[in-house]
This record gives sequence, structure tokens and C-alpha cells, in this order.
Amino acid sequence: MVEMQSFRVILLVGVLVVSLALGLGISSAQQVKNPDTLIIAHSGDVDSLDPAWQYDTLSSGITLWNVYETLIFFRGGSVGDYVPMLATQVPSLRNGLISRDARTFTFPINPQARFSDGTPVTAEDVKYSLMRFMMIDRDGGPSWVLLQPITGEDTTRDKDGKFRMEIFDRADRAIQVRGNSVVITLARPYAPFLNIMASWSMVISKRAAIAKGDWDGRRETVARFNNPQRNADTKLFEGAVGTGPFVIERWDRGTKTVILRRNERYWRGQRAALQRVVFRTVEEFATRRLMLQQGDADFITVGRPEQSQVEGLPGVRIVDDLSQFVTQALFLNLNVKGAGNPYLGSGRLDGNGIPANFFSDVQVRRAIAQSIDYGAIRRDCFRNKITLGNGPIPRGMFGYNERGRWYTYDRDRAIAAWREVQGGRVWETGFKLTVLYNTGNAARRCASEILKRSIESLNPKFQVEVTSLAWSTYLAQENEGRLPIYFLGWAADYADPDNFVYPFMHSNGTFTKAQSYSNPEVDRLIEEAQRTADPARRRQIYFRLQEIAYTDVPTVYLGYPTGFVVMRSWVRGWYWNPMFFGLGYLYALSKQ
Amino acid sequence: MTAFIARRLVLLPIVVIGTTLLIFALTQLLSPAMRASLFVQDPNQMRDLEAIIRKYGLDRPFYVQYWEWLKNVVRGDLGYSFVARQTVAEAIRSFFPTTLELSLFSFGLLLMVGIWLGTLSAVHKDRWIDHLSRTVSIVGTGLPTFVWGLVLLLLFYGMHPWFPPGRLSLEAYLYVTSDRFRSYTGLLTLDALLNGQLWIFWDALRHLVLPVLTLSYFTAAVLVRVMRSAMLETLRQDYVRTARAKGLPEPVVIRRHARRNALIPVITLASLILAGLLTGAVITETIYDLPGIGRWGAQAAQQLDIPGVAGFALFSAVLVVLGNLAADILYAFVDPRIRY
Repeated sequence: MVEMQSFRVILLVGVLVVSLALGLGISSAQQVKNPDTLIIAHSGDVDSLDPAWQYDTLSSGITLWNVYETLIFFRGGSVGDYVPMLATQVPSLRNGLISRDARTFTFPINPQARFSDGTPVTAEDVKYSLMRFMMIDRDGGPSWVLLQPITGEDTTRDKDGKFRMEIFDRADRAIQVRGNSVVITLARPYAPFLNIMASWSMVISKRAAIAKGDWDGRRETVARFNNPQRNADTKLFEGAVGTGPFVIERWDRGTKTVILRRNERYWRGQRAALQRVVFRTVEEFATRRLMLQQGDADFITVGRPEQSQVEGLPGVRIVDDLSQFVTQALFLNLNVKGAGNPYLGSGRLDGNGIPANFFSDVQVRRAIAQSIDYGAIRRDCFRNKITLGNGPIPRGMFGYNERGRWYTYDRDRAIAAWREVQGGRVWETGFKLTVLYNTGNAARRCASEILKRSIESLNPKFQVEVTSLAWSTYLAQENEGRLPIYFLGWAADYADPDNFVYPFMHSNGTFTKAQSYSNPEVDRLIEEAQRTADPARRRQIYFRLQEIAYTDVPTVYLGYPTGFVVMRSWVRGWYWNPMFFGLGYLYALSKQ
Repeated sequence: MTAFIARRLVLLPIVVIGTTLLIFALTQLLSPAMRASLFVQDPNQMRDLEAIIRKYGLDRPFYVQYWEWLKNVVRGDLGYSFVARQTVAEAIRSFFPTTLELSLFSFGLLLMVGIWLGTLSAVHKDRWIDHLSRTVSIVGTGLPTFVWGLVLLLLFYGMHPWFPPGRLSLEAYLYVTSDRFRSYTGLLTLDALLNGQLWIFWDALRHLVLPVLTLSYFTAAVLVRVMRSAMLETLRQDYVRTARAKGLPEPVVIRRHARRNALIPVITLASLILAGLLTGAVITETIYDLPGIGRWGAQAAQQLDIPGVAGFALFSAVLVVLGNLAADILYAFVDPRIRY
């Protein structure tokens, strides 16, 4: 019968497939795949290739220093030591390129520097690039990083969202072109400025930008250029002409692929070893892992919880314990907002909830800080890949105090602390707390569970409920001040302690505003440190702020997690700097 | 027939308005700050939350936002999808060919396998071949796509690197995106043949094997079961007995008399399957790293990209309505008794 014959064919094919699958394949020693091309399989989505729009790690990681170069660069793995890049010298007080009042910085531009189209880099290009970066000022963008030191304001718009021409004028006056030098005069002395310039002074070709229809740099047109609606609205969305060792070959949004091609006319002489670099979005971790294993990807992004799945793979190298300037903390909200907020339970101190101002009592905050099993969190939630915290400034950064005091977990002392709170009332009545984290964050979920366990073990009347929210909802609710006690982290915009103490401690900071924490002494100290050029005095101030973080404890600092990178071991030349986004400096890399 | 088609097409705008209105109305359940989450993804951006809400009009009531959206749609502007980093129209154009190619191959395979195996199973009811096909199809309906997909990938890429994920290999990709290659349809296999590049055809085909198998298995399994029971039903009919009685050879009885009549429920199901394939192969697309339209739709929904979701819903609604229409027309061809 016809049917029986075709059935036999099926059977045969089936047997063949299974037997091949189960071991007839030959596993040979792997040779370097695509030796001239580096392939990075990551999980994110590229936001924009416009240097003035990018504010996410992935987009910046693709272009910064690879396509767009900065005036100065970090020396090796150091974050406080610079080497010239597009400038011929690093400004300092000693070489006279920083003025005595620490407000004026002169950057002589290297006459050898060339854009990838072969045209020379002029001081005018540098000014245009900096002005463009500030004037685009999209909501949620990075422009404030330059606006703040240069104009003294962190936005170009007034409260109603209208563009303020005076900000343009101020910036235009502050940045002067003198011969082949760019002279920048700050609104007031701002110590972290050089550090900001090392990461955020990306220079693009003015001529090429205008040729693409982008802003022409004039006052008359700036208001129209300001705050575009969509990332695709900027003419440099798909990239600008930079000076870096790579140029953007294409950004294929259909296949979520960005391809960089080697800049054959790289101005610093030596071309990059790699001919091409391919960034591909591969959402599924299992797929990324298999691509790494097969050598079809040279770098893949891996989360801490997935790390064990890439350990021990042949031909794969994992570099761990990378310092990355991130602070993870547990925030206490001193004045929880929202009528009938479900996270407050009964909203009263009756054993079934907490009042909205529960954490405004410093004794409560200290008692909480003493009830957390930090060791367990480090071991169980971060696989020991975190340095325990003592304040906002991460370890390895200037201003971090190695000897700064912080709370330790001791059950008896925690009980004693709770008994003292409000004359023992809290201990007698108990409470019900809701601790929150963002869904999917395994480390924070784990920390929440440990927090629950350690607080509940103190007193049967202490109840802790753990709740998670989707990231978007979570951030929004946090900003509205509706979460009573929750986990969040902060990554450096630039390598200066000001970028940490401000959001974490200043009454106008991103976190503190939502927490309703305010301490006039803290504000005064933070502002003084911004103006102070003397490192010794600055250090003193940051050490003092650490002490206040300890005594006031509006925020419980869990620590500074380290990062890790997963790559094929045939990748050569890789090194790390905590200010690198993602995987590193592509110019240095090769495969062999 | 024309009147029937016209009547069906009139339904289309109603379906579209219904689904998209529902999407916009659901966003009303979220606060403006939550709706802004598409633009604020990091604590470092929180300082501008208020401004972002104002800028994108996220605090306006949903019917105002919907009205704005609808006006633009009528003008032919589907809006901008932040998740796709391109306009909704561009997104559909760039993501749909991947899904279409995947769906057509899967659909062809599952139709053939489903009808053939279902028939076979019914003809040899309760024999070992029937048991085998039923077991296979029960496993198929029970096994989640992501398990089946990952197992296949592990075996045929992880252990033996025959069928890699993605749409093309790097060399083929670089060739396809160069000036030497012209894109006619976006379907890589077809374009490769039109360009006379056989190696690209094979490369694209190689990348389709696993996703097509993954996608077909589950749906073919359902189809087998429907085909089998429909076939059993028709085999019991009088006209089949008549056909046998007048001495027709068995294959003719089965193919011409029984199977054709059994196809009616299969067509209904197949049209639904095709519409489903074209819009919802999210898991397969994710596992095999195929930049298809389902993945975009799912991501847009997760990240509250409202124009993205609405555009995706609109597109899906059109496909489903057209799919049903096609099925209705097909009925008439398969069964001459059906008249519209």
C-alpha cells in the first residue's frame, strides 16, 4: 500500500535524525571563527547612534571612543588619570591650561586629528559638538551633564517647557574658540569637570552634520532643534562622522544589528586590528550562550544569576570582579505619598501596617539598618560579588572611605534598638511592612526575602510582606513617593563622587526627593565640594557626608556589586576601566 | 459572492476600532507616570519624568489620545514605535517578511503533514500507525513551544552546529545588505533565487529548518487530530460506502470522496492557524533570534509602546479578518454545495 511505503520513509528519516543527533557529529577543536570580525550578542535595544541623544549603556558602549572620541581619555584602567585624545594636553593647574580660579579650561586641539572622512578636526568642530550636546537637551537625556557645569543650569527650558535663549547665550559665551584651542569657562568652579570631559566631550564633524540637515549651530535655529520628540527625529540618529578607529557601517533596525567598520584612515596611525564589529540583539539567553559556545559570538551579555551556565565552557573566558561604580541600596521613604496606599497596610501603627511617616523617625531607620543580615545578602544574593556598602560613594572612586562605619547585623542589638523606638511602643504593637523590588531582579528578590526573614525573626509582631512590581511601574511609583521601603541602584554618569552624593543625599536629588529626605548641612557640604578644587578638602567633605549617611540613614547601603565579562578566549587585548560601558575599548581588541 | 466579501470587509474597521479602543482604554488603568516608563528606563532619567509626561501628552484622557491616534491613522500615519526605533509602518514592513517567510514554510509543512497523517491515522484506525500518530500529536499539543524549540536548538546547533539561529549567516548577511543584492519581497529564500544567488537561498533555508519544525509541530499536531476525526466521520457516510460498493479503488475513495469532504473543518482551523502564525510566533522568533513581527508586538506590549501595540493590533485584525474571508471562499471551492 502507498501509505505503508511512505510510513517506512518517515521511520527511516526519524532513525537517521535521532542517531545523528545523539552522537555521530564530530566535535573538533575549534579554530578562530571570523578572525577579522568581532561579534557581540547582547540583550538590549540600541536607542540611537546620535552622541547627543544616547544615554543608555548599550548605545554609548557601541560608539563612545570607538566611533566618537573625546578631548581627553582615561589612562588604562584609571579613572582619575587622563591622557590626551583629541586635545594635545590634559589641562592642569601646572601647565596653565586650568586657570587659577579653577573656572577656565583650555583644550588645545591636536592638529593631526582627522575625521573619518579625512577632514581635519578644528576647534570650531569641538565647540559645535559641545553646544549641540547641550542644546538638544531632550527630556530624559544626558545634556544636563555638560549644562550644569558650563551654564549653571541643568536644563535649557523653563517650567512650561519653553526654550530659554539665555541658556544658549551663556553656553555660547562660555565656550570660546581661540586659534586651534577651545576655552571653556565654567559657571563656577566644578571639580569633576575633567572627568566629565573624558566621557562626554564626543566630537563630531560640524560640516558633515549640517550636510545631513542637522542643526547649523546658529542662535536663530536652536529653539527648533531643542528637545526633539523622537529619537529618529535627529538627523544623526543613524550616526555622525567622528574621529574614532571605527565608523558606523549600518544600523539595521529590522534585524537589530549595528555593524562598525574599521576606519582605514584612522588619524592616530595604527588602524584597529578588527575589520568589523557586529552588535546583535539576541534576547534569549540560551541562544546567546549557544552562539558563544559555537564561536558565533565573541562576547555575550550574561546576568549574575546565569553566570554558572557559562562557567567551564571550553574556549570561554570570564573576567570577574570588575569594579563598575554602581551603588545598590535599600531606600526608606520618610513620608509615603498616596491616600489609601496599599503598601502602608492599615496606614497606622496597629500591627497591621505602618503610618506614612513611619521612617521619619531616625530611631526606626537605625533599627531597620541593624536588622539586616548583610553577610547573608552578600553571600546568597550577590554570590559574594559585592563589596558591602557604607555610603553612596562606591568603592574605588575618589571620596570613598575605606574605614567608614556602617551597621552590622546582630540579633540582640537589633532587638535592643527596636525596644527603644518610641518608648517601646513599636515593639509592643508591632507592624506590617511591605518591601518592594522590581520583578525579575533576582538579587533584589533574594535581599527582600532575607530582610523579611531577619526582621520577622526579631518579634512575632513584626510582619514583612515582599511585593514586586514591573520595572516601569516600579520606577514610576518610586518617583511618586508611593513606595515605603524598596531597592534601587545607581550607575555613574561620570567618575566623580558628586554624581553619587547628589542623587542619594542632596534634598534636590533624584532619590532623596522621592524619599522626602532633607538635611541642610548635607546640601551645604555637597555644594561646597562641587566648588572646591582642593582634593584634600573635597575628600574631607565626602568623608563627613559618609558619616551623616551613617547617622541619618535614610538609605541603607547594601554595597557596590562588581561586574563580569564573558568572552571567547581567542579575544586579545581586552582591558577594563570602570567608566567603560559594556565590554571595553574595541580599538585594543583582536582575535587569534 | 461579491456581496458576501464586501459585507465581510465592512466588518474590518469595526474590528480594528474595537481592538485598538480597548488597548487605549486599558492604558487608562495606569498612571501617567507609569505610561511614561517607555521613555524613562533608568533612575538616572527620573529627574525629567514630569517633563516627559507633558511632552508626550501622557496625562491626557485616553479618549483624547485615542482620537488623536485615529485621526492620524485615517490620514495614513500609524505613528512611531519607540520599541522598534522606527515608524509603525516601517516596523511592519521590516519585521513582517521574516514572519511571513517563516509562516509560509511552516504552514506548507504542517498542512501536508497534518492532512496526510490525519488521513492515514483515520484509515488505519486503532492500528499501530494510528496509535503512533496520535501519540506524536498528543506530545506535540502538550509540549510547550519553548521546550521543543530549545531542545531542537540544543541538539542541532549546540551539539551539532548545522542549523544556527538568526536569519542568515554573517557572510550571507553582509552580502544581502550590500549593493550587489536587490530586495524584492523581503522573503530571503525568494529574493535569493531572484538574484540568482543559490548559496544565499541555502543559507536562508538552513536557518529556517529549526524554527519551521518548532512552529509546525504544535499546530500540525492539532491539525492531525482534527483531520483524523473529520475523516473518521466521513468514512462512515453512506456515499463512501456507495463509492466502495461500486468498486472504486480504495485510494480513490479516500482521496476523492472522503478526504475532500473531511477538509471543511480543516480549512476553518487552517485559516485560524495561518492568522496565528502570522501574528503570534513570539516564542519561536525569540528562541531562534528571528526579528519577526510577533516579537515586536510582544515587546511593544511589555514596554507600553502604545502606538506600537495599537499598530500591531490593527495589522493583526486585518490579517485575521482576511484569513477568515479566505477560508470562507475556500469552502465554496472544496464543497460545491456551499453558496454565498
